[in-house]
Amino acid sequence: MTTIPAITPIPAPEPTTPGRATTDHTAPGHAAPGHAAPGHAAPDPTGPIAARAVDVVKTYGRGEAAVRALDGASVDIQRGRFTAVMGPSGSGKSTLVHALAGLDSIDSGQILLGDTDLGALSERDRTLLRRERLGFVFQAFNLIPALTAEENLALPLTLAGTRPDPVWQAELVQMLGLGARLRHRPAELSGGQQQRVAVGRALIARPELVFADEPTGNLDSRAGAALLTFLRDATRSLDQTIVMVTHDPGAASYADRVVFLADGRIVDEQVDPTAESVLSHLARLDAQVGG
Amino acid sequence: MTPMWRLTLRNALAHRSRLALTWLAVALGVAFVAGSLVLTDTSSHLLDAQFRTTSAGVDLTVRSAAAFNSAMGVEVQRDPLPADLTERVDAVPGVARVRAVAAGAGQLQVRGRTVAPNGPTLVGSWGEAPFTAYALRAGHAPRGADEVVLDAATARQQRIALGDRITVSATTSHTLRVVGLTGIGGQEGLANSAVVLVDLPTGQSLLGLGSRVSSIEVLAAEGVAVPGLSARLTAALGTQYAVTNSQDAAAASADAAKESIRYLRIVLLALAGAGLVVGAFLIANTFGIVLTQRARELALLRAAGATSRQVFGSVVGEALLVGLAGSAGGTLLGVGAARALRGLARSAGLALPDGPLTVTGSTLGIALAAGTVVTLLAALGPARRAARVAPVEAMRASEPAPSAPRRGRLTTGWVLLGLAAPLLVAAGWMRSIAGVGLGAALLLVALVVLGPVLAPRLARLVGRPVERLGVPGRLARESTVRNPRRTAATVTALALGLALISFVSVLGGSVKAISAAGTEAIRADLLVQSSGEEMLGGLSPEVVGRVDRLPDVAVVSRARFGHWLDQGATSALAAVDPVTLPEVADITMTAGSLSALGNDGIVLAASAATERGLQVGDTLAMTFPRDGEQLLRVAGVMADESAQALSSRYILSLDGYARHYSEDVDATVYVKLMGGVDQSRARAALKAAVADFPNAQVRDQAEAAAGRAAAIEQVIGLVTVLLGFAVLIALLGITNTLALSIVERTREIGLLRAVGMTRTQLRWMVRAEAVLVAAVAVVGGIVLGLGLAVATLAALAADNPVVVSIPVGQLLAIVAVAVLGGLAAGLLPARRAAQLDVLASIATQ
Repeated sequence: MTTIPAITPIPAPEPTTPGRATTDHTAPGHAAPGHAAPGHAAPDPTGPIAARAVDVVKTYGRGEAAVRALDGASVDIQRGRFTAVMGPSGSGKSTLVHALAGLDSIDSGQILLGDTDLGALSERDRTLLRRERLGFVFQAFNLIPALTAEENLALPLTLAGTRPDPVWQAELVQMLGLGARLRHRPAELSGGQQQRVAVGRALIARPELVFADEPTGNLDSRAGAALLTFLRDATRSLDQTIVMVTHDPGAASYADRVVFLADGRIVDEQVDPTAESVLSHLARLDAQVGG
Repeated sequence: MTPMWRLTLRNALAHRSRLALTWLAVALGVAFVAGSLVLTDTSSHLLDAQFRTTSAGVDLTVRSAAAFNSAMGVEVQRDPLPADLTERVDAVPGVARVRAVAAGAGQLQVRGRTVAPNGPTLVGSWGEAPFTAYALRAGHAPRGADEVVLDAATARQQRIALGDRITVSATTSHTLRVVGLTGIGGQEGLANSAVVLVDLPTGQSLLGLGSRVSSIEVLAAEGVAVPGLSARLTAALGTQYAVTNSQDAAAASADAAKESIRYLRIVLLALAGAGLVVGAFLIANTFGIVLTQRARELALLRAAGATSRQVFGSVVGEALLVGLAGSAGGTLLGVGAARALRGLARSAGLALPDGPLTVTGSTLGIALAAGTVVTLLAALGPARRAARVAPVEAMRASEPAPSAPRRGRLTTGWVLLGLAAPLLVAAGWMRSIAGVGLGAALLLVALVVLGPVLAPRLARLVGRPVERLGVPGRLARESTVRNPRRTAATVTALALGLALISFVSVLGGSVKAISAAGTEAIRADLLVQSSGEEMLGGLSPEVVGRVDRLPDVAVVSRARFGHWLDQGATSALAAVDPVTLPEVADITMTAGSLSALGNDGIVLAASAATERGLQVGDTLAMTFPRDGEQLLRVAGVMADESAQALSSRYILSLDGYARHYSEDVDATVYVKLMGGVDQSRARAALKAAVADFPNAQVRDQAEAAAGRAAAIEQVIGLVTVLLGFAVLIALLGITNTLALSIVERTREIGLLRAVGMTRTQLRWMVRAEAVLVAAVAVVGGIVLGLGLAVATLAALAADNPVVVSIPVGQLLAIVAVAVLGGLAAGLLPARRAAQLDVLASIATQ
């Protein structure tokens, strides 16, 4: 097994100027390493950047008990692509995605969504940003039990005081195969149906970015596969940007690109992964972390 | 300590923040109970001490005999004793010394202002030791017609010094110079009264006794047994005189004064009970919620081998701990509550003595027991449900859905409701107050049983407007519907409090309307009325004499009040002048006539005549204080509205009154002016004529009506404030229930926040839920209160038409206060919900 140098595949552009807020489509040093050759620049995948983390540091706890969940993590999320974030437990993958989603504050570094610097936003503005520009799918408990499937679907828009575009909603419902279940409450839906409603809710406002945190963790393999296929198709046909945290190599294989985290940094990435390639990568990472 | 007990203790301590509001509810309820007991004990104790002190040192007291000692909290007045009786008493062997006493109630004016103590102003003749407990602290004893000694406490409060002049009025009015200040026993004065002491002749003059005296105090000679002397005196003086052991006389006086305190005690304890019942709902709810949240832990215990009996015991044990802790805290608070209650009761016009508080062992015992028992009873239901948690639930992943009310419960509820509603209507129709009481009790039980069904339906209905708030409003409404049992308990508690308040307000409004209805019959231009409570000294007969002599006055008519015993129960009557009354009031007689009253007749209100089956010419047996049981001839029957105008259903003539009563004071003087006389000028003249009788108030019709209404309003105000206490506890219940369910809904809140609900929206969602619960309670409570009030009024109306006056303004105020209270109750849970960390909430299991 080859030893992978512990370098960040996406070098942070000029870490000394964290205030920089431009969207740089062709950042210098922007790397897209192939399967076996980290650090090796490749043309693919490139394209517009939907979100970017720059040198992000996040520490939980204090003193002796302090845990550095993110230790200078930098990553670019390309628009219209399905990105998976993987890493051993404790690697900081959830923290990174929560930071990108404006759910968690960071100690230093910068999070950009499009042109917006999340760090400069108030709590309220971050909430409005989540409502208008982001979508979420969690592992479980995605839906409000008191609301019907349809109401859950429209939730981000109704919270903002608007209504979903009926054409778009109908299209989503049709794509997700939820037509007959719209008037049902979450308790009357299967786990797969519940997650599909959650995906629909994440997409209803046509957000710039959708975050999915282990969306298939509670599903059987068939329902999980259907959901992941839908997410991948959404990036293709709807030009939707999706970031998914997962620990399942099979789930990660649906993504266009996999980013690996260890010890709070991005240590590697893969484009067009397969389950096997992801698994072998993880094995190497484990060995590296263990060593 | 067994492991289960250790667990119980740990649980109680671990959940102390969740149980804090429960503790507070118990403590508040118990504080009310303890405060009521302490206040009434204190007042009784102070009055006992007061009467004991004033008669200390005297062995026996000789007074005129009376058929009964006191009625409605007032000692009856006895006939004065003839002047020569003192010598006859002194001549009885074994009597060492005697003292003739002039004593009665009066009024005191200082620098033109009336001094109004809590109780009566006592006017008495000075006595030297060992006859009295009075001990001069400054100056000298009163001698001669213009000297007076005042109690030191009143002198200090009113800043009166030796040499100042004060005006003392009873039957006559005298301006006197203060020559001495006295203490009473070891105290500066009496707890409840001002004391004014003059020499015997001045006292006789003030009280209109002439040469007679009020009572004779007797000291037994050395070595003479007091009971034997008492018997010899009785034999020597005859049965028209009563010889009483002075301590017994003091006790009887104290009992009379304590009667109103007994009523106060019943009312206060009933209201405190309402607070405890409302608290019981809160306690049951808290235990229900906390145990639901701990269902998995309980299941684990069961899986590990705990019997359901042990689980039940552990929950009951926890309730016991909370109950004891709450009761202990409440009992401590009770002392403060007693002071607050005393202030409240006084502001409502009740005469309560000042003094150090008395806390008895039984108060402590009752308060502790009340709080603990209520907590235990309230926790029984949740404890039984907890004991039913099956061990497999430890393995269950999702939260158990709230259990729907069982069919048996529903059937019971609907059956009870089906019984209660017709019973209430029938009882109102049949004028049966007992029926209304039973119907009300059934209705309340039915509503408590049906609460989990009715409350959510009502919430859906009332919650319509809340949906306008968008998703937060929609979710608020859904949350109230989601857990019917929980919502029902919160709603029922508040509705109960609000029902009682609206009941009292409708009842009070109607009583006001009823009492105002009668006054239309009075045509007098002006009235002179006693400002104080009538029996604590009415108007001196001098007042009517002076008014009568005024040139502008055409007709003067007066009314007096008295108590009589109606087969053992105290009742009231009025005495009027049959000749002049028709000139100042429209009196409708349905049979017989007023002029037929004579000095041995009585006129009955139509309702009283019907109740007793009496007609003109029949006789009625009445027991009077002065001359015992007498048979009175029914001289006429008066329309009920006319009797209402005179505030009594039994009417004597003034001549008849003089035969049966020693009292010589008027309650009201009706004045009709000469034609064409300017009313305001006449009024000024009247005022000037009676200026030195400070309790004489000159009023026109409107003011007289307002005066009556004000008295009713004061009582309603007091009751409402005290019921507000129960409402406060119920509002705490909303806060508590919401705060606890926020804990349950953490994940949901996290999700909503992640998806884009702002903190402001979240806060409004929680507040809207609180307001909605309050609104449902408002609807239920007011409907219930109105219904019960109407049924009660119908039952009380007897043969009269039912008068229901709904004080719309007051009810709207209740609605506003309750809804705002709900909003306030939601503030804390809303803040707590908004402060939840989004990420941590989502991650909550």
